[in-house]
Amino acid sequence: MSSAAKQFLRDAATKSADLVHREIIRKNMESYDAAHLRGRSRFKDWEAARRRCQEIKREAINHLDRYLLQFEEKVIAHGGHVFWAANGDEACAYIRDLAVSRGVRTIVKSKSMVTEEIHLGPALEEKGIKVWETDLGEFIVQLRNEPPYHIVTPAMHLNRQQIRELFRDHLGEDIPDADPQKLVALARRKLREAFFAAEMGISGANFIIADSGAVAISTNEGNGRLSTSLPRIHVAITGIEKVIPRLVDLATLWPTLATSGTGQPITTYSTLVSGPRKPGEADGPEEFHVVLLDNGRSGLLGNAEEREVLHCIRCGACLNICPVYRNIGGHTYNTTYQGPIGSVLTPHLRGSEFQHLSYASSLCGACTSVCPVNINLHHHLLHNRRDFAYAAGDSASGRTQFKLWRRAMLNPRLYALGGWMMRRGLRVLYGLGLAGTAADPLRAWSRKRTPIPLPSQSFRKMWKKGLVQKNAAKK
Amino acid sequence: MAISNPSREQILERIRAGLQVPALEYDDRKFEVQIFEPVENPLDRFQQECKANLMECLLAEGQSASAQTLAQVLQSLPQGEIYVQDEPGLRRIIDAAGTKRVVRWSSEGAPKESSQATVTLADALIAQTGSVFVSASCGGRGASVVAPCHIVVGQVSQLVPDLETALRNAIVEQRLENNSYACVISGSSRTADIEKILVQGAHGPIRLVVIVDTAA
Repeated sequence: MSSAAKQFLRDAATKSADLVHREIIRKNMESYDAAHLRGRSRFKDWEAARRRCQEIKREAINHLDRYLLQFEEKVIAHGGHVFWAANGDEACAYIRDLAVSRGVRTIVKSKSMVTEEIHLGPALEEKGIKVWETDLGEFIVQLRNEPPYHIVTPAMHLNRQQIRELFRDHLGEDIPDADPQKLVALARRKLREAFFAAEMGISGANFIIADSGAVAISTNEGNGRLSTSLPRIHVAITGIEKVIPRLVDLATLWPTLATSGTGQPITTYSTLVSGPRKPGEADGPEEFHVVLLDNGRSGLLGNAEEREVLHCIRCGACLNICPVYRNIGGHTYNTTYQGPIGSVLTPHLRGSEFQHLSYASSLCGACTSVCPVNINLHHHLLHNRRDFAYAAGDSASGRTQFKLWRRAMLNPRLYALGGWMMRRGLRVLYGLGLAGTAADPLRAWSRKRTPIPLPSQSFRKMWKKGLVQKNAAKK
Repeated sequence: MAISNPSREQILERIRAGLQVPALEYDDRKFEVQIFEPVENPLDRFQQECKANLMECLLAEGQSASAQTLAQVLQSLPQGEIYVQDEPGLRRIIDAAGTKRVVRWSSEGAPKESSQATVTLADALIAQTGSVFVSASCGGRGASVVAPCHIVVGQVSQLVPDLETALRNAIVEQRLENNSYACVISGSSRTADIEKILVQGAHGPIRLVVIVDTAA
């Protein structure tokens, strides 16, 4: 087992038994569930919307080179720059060198999971550049020096008291009643200073639009707007899979993304940036750079089965509905992208070290049922299990286990004996009060839970009895 | 200035090599579908959606009524300068509103942080989502996000039924060729990052007011 896998199991066990955490997540998810359902009911045909979004992304991904080149040509024609980064180091180096050469001291960032993926913040701070996360949730987790808990709501795991304490310790102002309105106002005041001081704004992109040479950025807070309006340089960084063919595609993608992300009909600021400030415009950055990041994404294209994983629009719906996410929380994954999509994607982007995430699923298919671009998520988890099992080859202990299993399955007496021993053994064990201890073979379940009540009879006995009764009733 | 792009070809090659593998079969038959309910009465719908978005939609018949409405909104705001898109129609309306505030026009540069309100036109109003479509030509980028109150002076003739129409028009009118930025704004700035509780005025305007001239 990899060390990442061991860590995952330890953290999952701790988090799922943390009652405060459970309560926070339950409240958040209940509120999301209600908004999401309300949002979906605004569509005349939600399934048709999902299908349309799937087709848009399918068209884009299956002609990725063509649409990226079209996008690049347009951006350059508008006076912008496009940099292609094969990996995180290249992307960080480009942005760092740009910032240094332009004398940038302060950067405001709007939310971008790609910058988390490549650890851009630390790369810039190494050069003495101050980086402000300006999305409120990101700002909070930045102050706590921890990664985002969720790709859409980064500080979902904290309650207002915890945020009050954090602000008191780091911003030097106390809001005694921890009123969210006042907490937001405090963050607004602090971040305003940063917005007006910053020389560079960094944003992600929800979509990049080939026929218009524009990046689309959805934010509710307006921090994405300020980050791309006030500083004199704007850098948008995004994965190559974010391209869509046409501007008009947003007529479906914007409402579907917003509904899946937060339940809103559309995000408050659905922004399009196509270049640097034009002559005659009142304001806007003098320089506009787009960084297109590969970082392992192109490797998924050659796998026809997995290619659709690149359709993801990062709405977070699969995280919110996932019974595993809802119990273990976002940080346990220890990845940039959490939940079902993270479990599918991370082993591809970061290697077999994260293969255990393919098993962080009950394969219930809830994720697939809500995905706004119809990615068959739980099947991909299964595909990943299969592919990694083949690649790893079979182990001696695995072979032995399957041999024993085969023997038992072919021999009913042996199977019954196994069941009998298990029932008896566990009864003795539990009678001695050893449930959940190292001696308990069902320890994974019973160390944090009430032990499973042991049946007095075997299933086969119950089945036979049932048949006898049924036959008696017939007579 | 051309930037050096050492990995560009390599990435494109990898993409093309990957796409050599044919896509899985997909049933791409097209069906007649309606994703959204068609918008029957755009002005009614616009007003409803504005309300749901916590925006203020004020109807006014004619330019002088619009000016009066604008004057009332400005009166409700704290003392301080306002920032206005420099456009002949707006100059007339600001004159008619007779405000005593200092007016900074968009031709004089970006809005100041201390602005109490910004007043701009819109390129379109969208009924389906209760949105205003603005671009850089509407007083620049900061004009819709820097001040605590953004006032949009619109006309009922600018109302389009849905997003799709607004985006199609934007393409025909080459709005992203002629502007470096555009935005579909559907309410005031907001966040629900703390316990999913909605708070207005996160970084941008706390109020978004749309005055719709129903005679124009």
